[in-house]
Amino acid sequence: MAKFISLLFIPQEKNNHRALLLQPSFLGIFIALYLLNQSFIRSLTILKPGILGYSSEITVDKVISQTNSERQKLGLAPLKYNATLSQSATAKAQDMFANNYWAHNSPEGKTPWDFFKSVGYQYSVAGENLAKDFYDTDGLIKAWMNSPTHRDNIVNSKYQEIGIGVVNGILNGVKTTLVVQHFALPLNAPVVAKKSNPAPVNQEVVVNPQPELVVSTQSLGDTVVNLAASSKAINPLLISKIIGTIIFSLIVVVLIIDSYVTLKDQTPRFTGSSASHIGFLLIILMLLIFGRQGAIF
Amino acid sequence: MIIFKEIKKNPFDYVILAIILIIAFILFIFFNQNFDAHNQRRVIYVTAALYLLWSLFHHYRRGDLQASIIIEYLLLAIFAVIIALTTLV
Repeated sequence: MAKFISLLFIPQEKNNHRALLLQPSFLGIFIALYLLNQSFIRSLTILKPGILGYSSEITVDKVISQTNSERQKLGLAPLKYNATLSQSATAKAQDMFANNYWAHNSPEGKTPWDFFKSVGYQYSVAGENLAKDFYDTDGLIKAWMNSPTHRDNIVNSKYQEIGIGVVNGILNGVKTTLVVQHFALPLNAPVVAKKSNPAPVNQEVVVNPQPELVVSTQSLGDTVVNLAASSKAINPLLISKIIGTIIFSLIVVVLIIDSYVTLKDQTPRFTGSSASHIGFLLIILMLLIFGRQGAIF
Repeated sequence: MIIFKEIKKNPFDYVILAIILIIAFILFIFFNQNFDAHNQRRVIYVTAALYLLWSLFHHYRRGDLQASIIIEYLLLAIFAVIIALTTLV
């Protein structure tokens, strides 16, 4: 056993002067193990939906206050919270969970504006921002502010009201928190600024607004925050990162041992450059350790 | 440190590799600050491809360009791409 371990880590004549763990066959095994873990995670999301997921500390209040803080930095008026807009945002998040999609338009063809209409909110300009898998509000707002189209919604001078939906549920078998921001200028409100640029996919301008009929209004509560639901879930991204970090750290350690032994003994051999492998693997380790989670749409 | 002896043998090659990795590091940190996973993945793909090209260049100059050596680089590059695909979401 001790001899086998020594062959795994230390270059010697019996392993052709290259630690076994660094030989292509073992690198292939590492890749296979990692892919097996990914398949296991994917299977869990199908067979036992809800076991895996992302926990979140996002709250409606924080999203509104940080959104207004970003507006105030640019000298814009803060957005007023509107309970009806929050109903439409919450309904949108619930619809994404119910129909298992992650987009502005549902697979059935529902647009964001259908949700505004369904709760009876009449607007002349409206916008929607979506986010999922974020741990905290700071990261969420930062991600939106760094995306030009989402930023345009947050700092749009036309908007006067905001509604937020923060809803937990299971999307594609994984527990997550969806955050929906609905922005609007109410139908009869005075327009502060005008802009003739074409509206992006997450904004709508009603040119000649007609009085709308309320199709259906379901009482969802002002805000739906159910953060406890995802607190027990195991984060699938964390599992992948931990396994990846263990494998890459092991390879780096063996590369250092391997270089030390062969350079000390001046062993001639045909292998890849350990120094370059270490440099490249350190970049990937950085990705595994510092990469952030969260997606916006 | 003994590991730097390897670098001293071909300093030019390693300067090129260091430039590639430093640029990758800076871009990765920049996109990480912006929560831009899409561009972070691109950084990893490009770095992995340049790493493979560098290995061809380095081992050709050293006179030991062999299939077994390139497979070693290829496997590490593939592993890096898989990591990027599965963790940068």
